[in-house]
Amino acid sequence: MANSSATKRSGPGVFGGLSHLALFIWTILTVAPIIYTFLSSFKTNTELFGGRSLALPENFHWDAWGRAWETSHIGQYMVNTVIVVAISTFFTMLFGSMAAYVLARYRFFGNRLIYILFVSGLSIPPFLALSSLYKVVDNLGLLGTHAGVVLVYVAFSMPFTVFFLASFFRSLPDTVAEAAMMDGASHTRTFFQIMMPMARPGLISITIFNVIGQWNQYLLPIVLLPGDKQDLWLITQGIANISTSAGYEADWAALFAALSMAIIPILIVYVIFQRQIQSGLTAGVGK
Amino acid sequence: MASIVLSNVDKIYAGGVKAVNGLNLEIKDGEFMVLVGPSGCGKSTALRMIAGLEDISGGEISIGDRVVNHLPPKDRDIAMVFQNYALYPHMTVEENLAFGLKLRKMPKAEIAKRVNEAAKMLGLEQYLKRKPAALSGGQRQRVAMGRAIVREPQAFLMDEPLSNLDAKLRVSMRASLNQLHERLGVTTVYVTHDQVEAMTLGDRVCVLRDGLLQQVDTPQNLFDAPVNLFVAGFMGSPSMNFVTAEMVRDANGAAVSFAGYKLPVPDSTFAEKPGLDRYIGKRIILGIRPSDFEDSVAANGNSTGWVRIPVRANVTEELGSEINVLFTIDAPPVEHKDTVAAANDGDEEEVTLPLTGDKSLWTARVNARSHVRPGQNIELVVDTHNLHFFDVESGLSIGHEANIGR
Repeated sequence: MANSSATKRSGPGVFGGLSHLALFIWTILTVAPIIYTFLSSFKTNTELFGGRSLALPENFHWDAWGRAWETSHIGQYMVNTVIVVAISTFFTMLFGSMAAYVLARYRFFGNRLIYILFVSGLSIPPFLALSSLYKVVDNLGLLGTHAGVVLVYVAFSMPFTVFFLASFFRSLPDTVAEAAMMDGASHTRTFFQIMMPMARPGLISITIFNVIGQWNQYLLPIVLLPGDKQDLWLITQGIANISTSAGYEADWAALFAALSMAIIPILIVYVIFQRQIQSGLTAGVGK
Repeated sequence: MASIVLSNVDKIYAGGVKAVNGLNLEIKDGEFMVLVGPSGCGKSTALRMIAGLEDISGGEISIGDRVVNHLPPKDRDIAMVFQNYALYPHMTVEENLAFGLKLRKMPKAEIAKRVNEAAKMLGLEQYLKRKPAALSGGQRQRVAMGRAIVREPQAFLMDEPLSNLDAKLRVSMRASLNQLHERLGVTTVYVTHDQVEAMTLGDRVCVLRDGLLQQVDTPQNLFDAPVNLFVAGFMGSPSMNFVTAEMVRDANGAAVSFAGYKLPVPDSTFAEKPGLDRYIGKRIILGIRPSDFEDSVAANGNSTGWVRIPVRANVTEELGSEINVLFTIDAPPVEHKDTVAAANDGDEEEVTLPLTGDKSLWTARVNARSHVRPGQNIELVVDTHNLHFFDVESGLSIGHEANIGR
């Protein structure tokens, strides 16, 4: 995503100039395709394939957006995706941060083993386990349900979440948790009222990571939400359906409109959280 | 308020490291007890065991009448101030102060009353709505104190609370702490590695080393009658001068001789230190406080029991009201394990002359009127009533009441 344009602040000078040039090129590389997608959603198939595909559209009609939303059910799929991603991100963050906190800050037998088991999950791409995942979810009776998708999403998001947050929790000062204990807070309260707020920058970054990762999933929903459950499909399946269903007569404008619709929520999430990351929340803990 | 009693408390870490070894300590109700010692001496571990942040490996700790060994920190009715303050960064000063009270389900009005009282006492009223990030180091320190005060606990535990402040602020906070204790009268256990802090704050001071209690007494008694070489070297700044000397008795009476000097030992000293006479004809370690020296010109009154010794000043440190005169004496430095330990870990930066060779470097603190310059020969007088004698082997102070029979 277009994150790099905002992150670096360098002073004037040769390096400043060079880095700005690099950032400028990077910005074009990331922004141009998004703009192209957006503009293409207003074109007709003729405009798109008439040899002037980089020109501006002749008129800005929202027809394609309407077609995508209504005819291709992108609206329905979008709602489905928002529900699935919201629930699975919530549980990923809840369980992930709790597990990471305990693994990072409590010493008990087997701590290291559990941590390694979590982290070793990073080395297994979920696609490698696709057929067994299908079997497991089927046996649970959750095939073709959103619950099944949520379960799998949470499971495959956990390793990186735990890995990332455990190191984040380790970097927070022990004494604040101890002070909370002296003040009379239970372990649960210390976690939710003291440590979670302190870990907010880390939680936000990993939330963005998970939202984007889960929003963009294609293969997992294809497997877990088969064709006979079309009303439960997620947005990526819907987009793919536009291009495949009509064979060579695909509605390209509607496809681009659907793509734009898929991109916009992610952009919004990003812009909102980006601001929050910048307000340094751990400042002022100690001296 | 309550007394705190530690009996035979041990702390053994994984790997068998004994951080605290059979510690016996009774902190009286309302007393300000300072635990002091070089880093790694177990003072913080002892404090954390009282707090309940560390398990107790052996022995018993009681606060008030209750044995608290297995009570979680929140049930011990104590409050702690941490070295790095450990404020809750996402809460305002007010919320920081109120957090512990809210958790104890105190009525809102009572919380507000206590928070305001503490804020007033500490001069934090105008900062109540701020977050810790918007406060200076001294203000954060006061918030940390306030968080302990509002709880009105049985005891305060303080883990080097002043060590993150700059020197000037530390001195003024030290005075505030003294006043605060005077006013609240709450039993306080205070950990520091700074012996000046220990001397100025403590009703009594407990000197620890390698997890072992060395001596507990009032600051003045620690200074005047240290129980062994370690305490003698650790307490006091500049630290005590040591030399291996021989105790002799001749026609003029008893004396200690070292490096070509001979200091008479007054008869009263033998009376005060039973057993000292057994060392006549033997070697002992002699200790002299820098403050027991004086320039003979400045001390013209020449009171009895003061003996003149001529020295050559190598370095002078002028402190305004007095001058530290550093001079070498023709005797090898005392290399007892206790003096080495005290010198290494003391907080003061030692002034070491790399070229002293096989000689010991001594310090005398003389009156600023003496105007001594480096390289000058001067005559110092020594107050022979305040000589300290230590056993060469054990390093124990000879004739100290705690050492009789040891």
